[in-house]
Amino acid sequence: MTTATVTKFPEKSPYQPDTAEGILRAYDAFVADIDDQPQWLVDLRKSSLKEFKRRGIPTPRIEGWKFTNLLPLVKGYGDKVGQIKVSHDKVDGVIIAPLMEMLDQDWVKAALSEDMPPLQHNTENTLWHLGNIYLRDGIVIDVPANKEIKKPLELLTSAADGAFFTDRMVIRVQKNARLTIVEDHWSKGTFWKNRLTHIVLEPGAKLTHIRMQDDSDKAVYTQTTNVHVGRDAVYDAVAFCTGAALSRNQVRVTLDDTGAQCHLNGANLLRGEQLGDTTILVEHRAPHCQSNQNIRTVLDGRAHGVFQGKVHVHQPAQKTDGYQLSRALILSEGAEMDTKPELEIYADDVKCSHGATTGQLDQEPLFYMQSRGIDAKSAKALLIQAFIAEVFENIKDEGLKTSLERKVEAWLKQ
Amino acid sequence: MLQIKNLHASIDGKEILKGLTLDIPDGQVHAIMGPNGSGKSTLSYVIAGREGYEVTGGQILLDGQDIMEMAPEERAAAGLFLAFQYPVEIPGVAMTMFLKTAINSIRKQRGEGEIDALDFLKLLKKKQAELGMSDEMMKRAVNVGFSGGEKKRNEVLQMAMLEPRMAVLDETDSGLDIDALKVVADGVNRLRNEKRSFLVITHYQRLLDYIKPDVVHVMAAGKIVKTGGPELAAELEKTGYAGYAA
Ligand SMILES: Nc1ncnc2c1ncn2[C@@H]1O[C@H](COP(=O)(O)OP(=O)(O)OP(=O)(O)O)[C@@H](O)[C@H]1O
Ligand SMILES: [Mg+2]
Repeated sequence: MTTATVTKFPEKSPYQPDTAEGILRAYDAFVADIDDQPQWLVDLRKSSLKEFKRRGIPTPRIEGWKFTNLLPLVKGYGDKVGQIKVSHDKVDGVIIAPLMEMLDQDWVKAALSEDMPPLQHNTENTLWHLGNIYLRDGIVIDVPANKEIKKPLELLTSAADGAFFTDRMVIRVQKNARLTIVEDHWSKGTFWKNRLTHIVLEPGAKLTHIRMQDDSDKAVYTQTTNVHVGRDAVYDAVAFCTGAALSRNQVRVTLDDTGAQCHLNGANLLRGEQLGDTTILVEHRAPHCQSNQNIRTVLDGRAHGVFQGKVHVHQPAQKTDGYQLSRALILSEGAEMDTKPELEIYADDVKCSHGATTGQLDQEPLFYMQSRGIDAKSAKALLIQAFIAEVFENIKDEGLKTSLERKVEAWLKQ
Repeated sequence: MLQIKNLHASIDGKEILKGLTLDIPDGQVHAIMGPNGSGKSTLSYVIAGREGYEVTGGQILLDGQDIMEMAPEERAAAGLFLAFQYPVEIPGVAMTMFLKTAINSIRKQRGEGEIDALDFLKLLKKKQAELGMSDEMMKRAVNVGFSGGEKKRNEVLQMAMLEPRMAVLDETDSGLDIDALKVVADGVNRLRNEKRSFLVITHYQRLLDYIKPDVVHVMAAGKIVKTGGPELAAELEKTGYAGYAA
């Protein structure tokens, strides 16, 4: 008779808790320095601290981070948590206030306390917890019902050299109101900005959200945006990224009610040693909703692009219209693109398509243009501009569109 | 104008042009006819400077100057133009912008200033009208959604806008209906003058009834195998290329 011994190994954790230590060095001084806060926020901070200590900084061992190695670039931060300033102009009809003054608002509390399950598909939420731990800076933007704000709300962040920063934007567009937000980030120096944004769109609301990120190429820019789109509401986003040594744009959109739509457009223009990561999760939770993801990446030098996008169609979300396409253009041999387009569908009556392509500039149009006298560099620039232009198509404001096109031109001239 | 001497060219190690010689004086129209695959388009690409062809021997001279080392855009600035057998679609690049960029690039290479925006539009309108092309087409992306015939007209429009001194037309007549053929031929004829030369590649005598050539060449297996007057085209129409096997 033989006996088999079965040794059960503990399940291997993808987390590296020890990596949390660095960034938490500033914690005691940070909490000692902030004024009285509501108990729910104190609790939130504590529970996130516990979560973060358990997980540490995300490493490529975590599925949702397998292409993006954050740790080497951020492990030097931790002695200092800098203050990030969000500056904006005044726009009539919009309530804009510092976050700390709005903590008594139920909807703000609800947005901040929303539970984000770990490893929620692609949008791993460790950075969210890190934001909770150091929650202090930020603003709240609220548009009252039925207000159509024509003038875009422009805002920018400024971060000084050498520190870790985190800020929060909590945005609500109430019933049938409309708003356009234009973010412009171009801080100089070496820093890590970990930005978190909550967006709540009530029924019939529309938010056009443009973000231009051209932070210094020594910086790290991580962004997590959590969007709830209500009945017949529309979230229309354009993320334009040319900056940072490493940037990660995590977006999670939940289409909560019938007729909700989101259009996630992104352009990443990267060169040198830059890494640009776009990681999207769209949750279709209700019938007759529409989602579009349209991401264009241009890579030169030894740049590295990442696209991870998932459309998750829950069982009640019949008649879903989900579209996703990542297209990347590789301009040099050293550049690299990683993509992971995914669909997860539990409803049976849906129309979904997804895909990712990576390629080089077509030689035929290049030669055609050259044969008309256009030099090779300009011909390439024209083709790249055309490649990117599609993600600006939804922008109604011609001035805004032109300024984005100019930014593409400027990038090409560098 | 254009002199080609004993040109040998290959692609992917396969020799296509095998000692081709051609001399087109100022102001003349030369036609090349020849069976499919004889290397006519290859010749046009090599003249225009397309990458990927290895020129293993011979010379191409434009006004006595060797153009072999010149980039395609430099050749365009020197006055060369190629009307493509298969015009290329360029999604996202609008016709008007494309034409203006082309004109200004050529002017820049020649040390001239940019064309006045109004002058450009006037010129474009005039050429459009001559070739029966609508404003709407000019707003579209280059060749995108153009029919086969429209693409060919568009080649002639570009030629008319860029005013080259030496134009190579590669089967510009193929895919054109009878009326369009006449429009396109008129477009070419309007540009004819004692300084400007044309090399017209075609399979059909009909085009040459409209654009009267000075000289007709027969090309087979990468070489010019016979040269004659316009009557040669009529003869080929009857006999085909049977007698010209390489
Ligand atoms: N990339 C390539 N690799 C190998 N062979 C090629 C390549 N391109 C062209 N060829 C060959 O070169 C020969 C000449 O082609 P070309 O297009 O110049 O002919 P053509 O005379 O213009 O023909 P047509 O009348 O059909 O337009 C053909 O046999 C073709 O298959
Ligand atoms: Mg041909």
